Amino acid sequence: MGKDPGELLPGTFDLLLLKALSLGAMHGWGVAERIERLSNGACAVQQGAVYPALQRLLTRGYIVAEWRMSDNHRNARFYRLTASGRKQLDSEQEWWRRASAGVDRVLRAAAQEG
Amino acid sequence: MSRMHAIRERIVALTMSGWRDRDLEREIAHHLDLETARQIERGYPPDVARMKALGNFGDPRRVADQTRDQRGRQIMEGGMQDLRWAIRSLRKNLGFTLLALVTLTLGVGATTAAYSVLDTVLLRPLPYRDADRLVLIREKTDKHNLLAPSYPNFIDWRDRARAFDGVASAMFPYFGTVWPATNSPEPVRVSSMGVSKHFFATLGVAPVVGREFTDAENALGGPSVAMVSYEFWQSQMGGRQPLGTILRGDKPTVVVGVLPPGFHFVNAADIYWPHEQAPGTVRSGHNYLVIGKLKPTASLTVARSDMTALSRDLFATWGNDTQAVDADVTPLRDYLVSNFRVLLSVVLGAAVMVLLIACVNLLSAQLARGWAREREIAVRAALGASRGRLARQLCLESLVLVTVGSAMGLLLAFGLIATIKSVGTGLIPRINELSIDARVLGFVVAATLLTTVVVGVYPALRLSRGQNGVLLGGTRVAGSAVRASLWRALVGFEVALAVVLIIGSALFVQTLHNILTSDSGVDTHGIVTAAFAPDSGDLRDLDRLHDGLATIPGVTGVAFSTRLPFSWGSWSGPLRRRSDPLGHDWPAMAGFRVVTPGYFSVMRQHVIAGREFTANDRDGAIKIAIITKGAAEKLWPGENAVGKTIATNFLFTQWLTVVGVVAEATSWTMPRGEQNEIFVPVAQQPNSVNEQLIAVVRTSGDPRSILPAVRSRIRAVVPTAAADIGTLDERVARSAADRRFAMLALTAFGAIALLLAGVGIYGVVWYIVTTRTREIGIRMALGATAAGVQRQMLTSALAMALGGVIVGVAGAIFATRFVQSSLYGISRLDPWAYVMGASLAIVVALLGAFVPARRSSRVDPLIALRSDG
Repeated sequence: MGKDPGELLPGTFDLLLLKALSLGAMHGWGVAERIERLSNGACAVQQGAVYPALQRLLTRGYIVAEWRMSDNHRNARFYRLTASGRKQLDSEQEWWRRASAGVDRVLRAAAQEG
Repeated sequence: MSRMHAIRERIVALTMSGWRDRDLEREIAHHLDLETARQIERGYPPDVARMKALGNFGDPRRVADQTRDQRGRQIMEGGMQDLRWAIRSLRKNLGFTLLALVTLTLGVGATTAAYSVLDTVLLRPLPYRDADRLVLIREKTDKHNLLAPSYPNFIDWRDRARAFDGVASAMFPYFGTVWPATNSPEPVRVSSMGVSKHFFATLGVAPVVGREFTDAENALGGPSVAMVSYEFWQSQMGGRQPLGTILRGDKPTVVVGVLPPGFHFVNAADIYWPHEQAPGTVRSGHNYLVIGKLKPTASLTVARSDMTALSRDLFATWGNDTQAVDADVTPLRDYLVSNFRVLLSVVLGAAVMVLLIACVNLLSAQLARGWAREREIAVRAALGASRGRLARQLCLESLVLVTVGSAMGLLLAFGLIATIKSVGTGLIPRINELSIDARVLGFVVAATLLTTVVVGVYPALRLSRGQNGVLLGGTRVAGSAVRASLWRALVGFEVALAVVLIIGSALFVQTLHNILTSDSGVDTHGIVTAAFAPDSGDLRDLDRLHDGLATIPGVTGVAFSTRLPFSWGSWSGPLRRRSDPLGHDWPAMAGFRVVTPGYFSVMRQHVIAGREFTANDRDGAIKIAIITKGAAEKLWPGENAVGKTIATNFLFTQWLTVVGVVAEATSWTMPRGEQNEIFVPVAQQPNSVNEQLIAVVRTSGDPRSILPAVRSRIRAVVPTAAADIGTLDERVARSAADRRFAMLALTAFGAIALLLAGVGIYGVVWYIVTTRTREIGIRMALGATAAGVQRQMLTSALAMALGGVIVGVAGAIFATRFVQSSLYGISRLDPWAYVMGASLAIVVALLGAFVPARRSSRVDPLIALRSDG
């Protein structure tokens, strides 16, 4: 059974959103596009999914939103990381590193034993 | 910073969801445009690019829904859960919840309604321009009686008083018949008020249609013109323009103006006419209401000394032709509401007491609940609930209570106000302006909210004082004694307030009873009165009318009078003996009444000396009169008045021979001996019948049952008459309507207060029983009987009630001083009222204590000893 290339580990989507926004304020499409581009398409999600996720981050106070003029001179809603969002990003990155390293080690060990 | 944003985000999401939804739509549209553009860059044609963009995005509607859900869930996280918890907790303690709700409903409803009435009637400015500068000016006699001024005095005041920007007058309104158009099929009964030049200008009221009277119209012998009330114009004239002509009696009268909606002065009138066309000539008459508008620079004191100086001057000129040795200047508002100030203050006082009781009940109930919950809350805190969260939950619980209770209270207030309006119309001035006062409602809700919330959150606050261990530990018998005594004091206070209200209510119940059964000198039962305006001066129909009414089955007597029984009003003037020179200080004032033969036997008014009028007392025979006993004793002390001659200023040039002396017909509204009257026969004085006639019909059956017959018989003879028909007993009852109002208010508030106090006592005894289960168990184990334990509980409740009763009785002795003048035939210290108030309170206290006390006697010692109290 093949896996959908866009399927993510639970909890990682918020991390990716926070990381993407840490590179600079961006509107919803830009965030989706950024994640897709930076992951070389490996983390290409259904683009619509960013909006509920962004709303969740908004209400938790990790990001703020404001209407601004975009590059193509249209009014767009831009999201920006807050200080507590930056802290959250740090702690989630730390969590991801430990988790992925752990998973990695397990996978490698399995290869030796198998 | 981020916390602030998060909070703002929640608020925005809650309050502006509509706006937010449009934002979300725009955001998604923008997204799809950008994605489409990217796909076009990659070489797809626009329509395919659009499809691809949509495919990459997913269903926009679902995305929008999910985003919205995300928003909602965040806001409600915690909040919703707490709310559910609060409601569940309130439902679990149904007894407490109902108690609090009933208390809130009654407290908020009663207080809001009562204060709204007070505000409307007493505090709001009168609906006239510069109303605080308007005053009423009256004549003051050498005996300091206040009288309505005469026309000549009014003219002199108007011309010579210096403290006023304007002085104007109106005549007391009377009823007449009007055809609203020259071709109207039916006449209507209207109230007419004569007004002087500048009357409306002085009040600062301008007509909404047409104009005021001109100087020519205000002059002697001016054309027949009138102004009408807005209500009359709308309902009877169909709001027509031009205003056209109406018929007053048979006189075509041009309507020149319409007054603003709701305009009224002292009484509402339909028709206003220029009374200076027919000015009064007698300086000792008393037929006018005189108003003045103070100059902006003139104070009341200045105006008073101005009027006093002027009156002295006039008295020096006119001597005993005038009765005014001085003049009284009263702010118009004080005059208009003076009779109701006391009674309305009673109502407000009662409402405030009920609000106090309500708050005390809430306070004690919340306290008790808080004490009972300390363990629960300590446990939850130990299990990890934050203090903030606990406080929030408790706060929410109180908020739910106050919200529901206030909403119910508001409904009650609306109901009460509708009732007060229907009961008080025509009785309480300005009652038609009555509406709920938002500020009052706000204040009352705030007061209850504060009580409920502060006390409700109290257990959570206690946690901060490091009492966790104690609370978890269990036994808390020691603290409960202190608390119980605090609560006892609060409930005792409630009982005291209830006792005051019940005593007040008892005094007014007795007052009303005394009024309705007071000996009036006539027999009011079985009498129907019908007031109608006869065709101008044509009295030949009276015989036919008499015969028509007399043949109604059950009718035993019919007579006519120019005034309603117990009605004196402005028709009062001095009596003069032949020995009194003109200008003498006249010894007696008397009301003037023109009656038909048989009036005294129909009214059963006792003829003490001489005879009553007969059919033989006709025009052409010697002019005669009958006077009341009081007048006879004043004019001819120790002598027989029959045969003497007398004059009244209503028939100024005539000397009348007294043929009879009758007992007074007194009404409770005037002390006995103050309403002398002089009666003359209609047949000899047809010209004195100018406004209305009252048919007085006595029946042996139920007077209500002949009302339709009376109406139709009058219409059969005088088709133009729009009669005002009712029983005399009802009229008497209506004259006591303000006392009835006070009685109803005090009784209702007293009952509510008593109920709330009973609930309070129930609560405190219940609390004592629950907190002392262990102690009771020990005592029963040591041999106390169930009856003994129960008796102890009841005794404790009784002690509480007695304390309240003593304070309450003392309070009533003080507070009833303010209603003394409104009582009739009963002392404010009437022992029976006090005994009743006290015993009712004690009975209610015992009833309230009985249920929880019985529970105490069912305590099983074994279980009680094992419990931790």
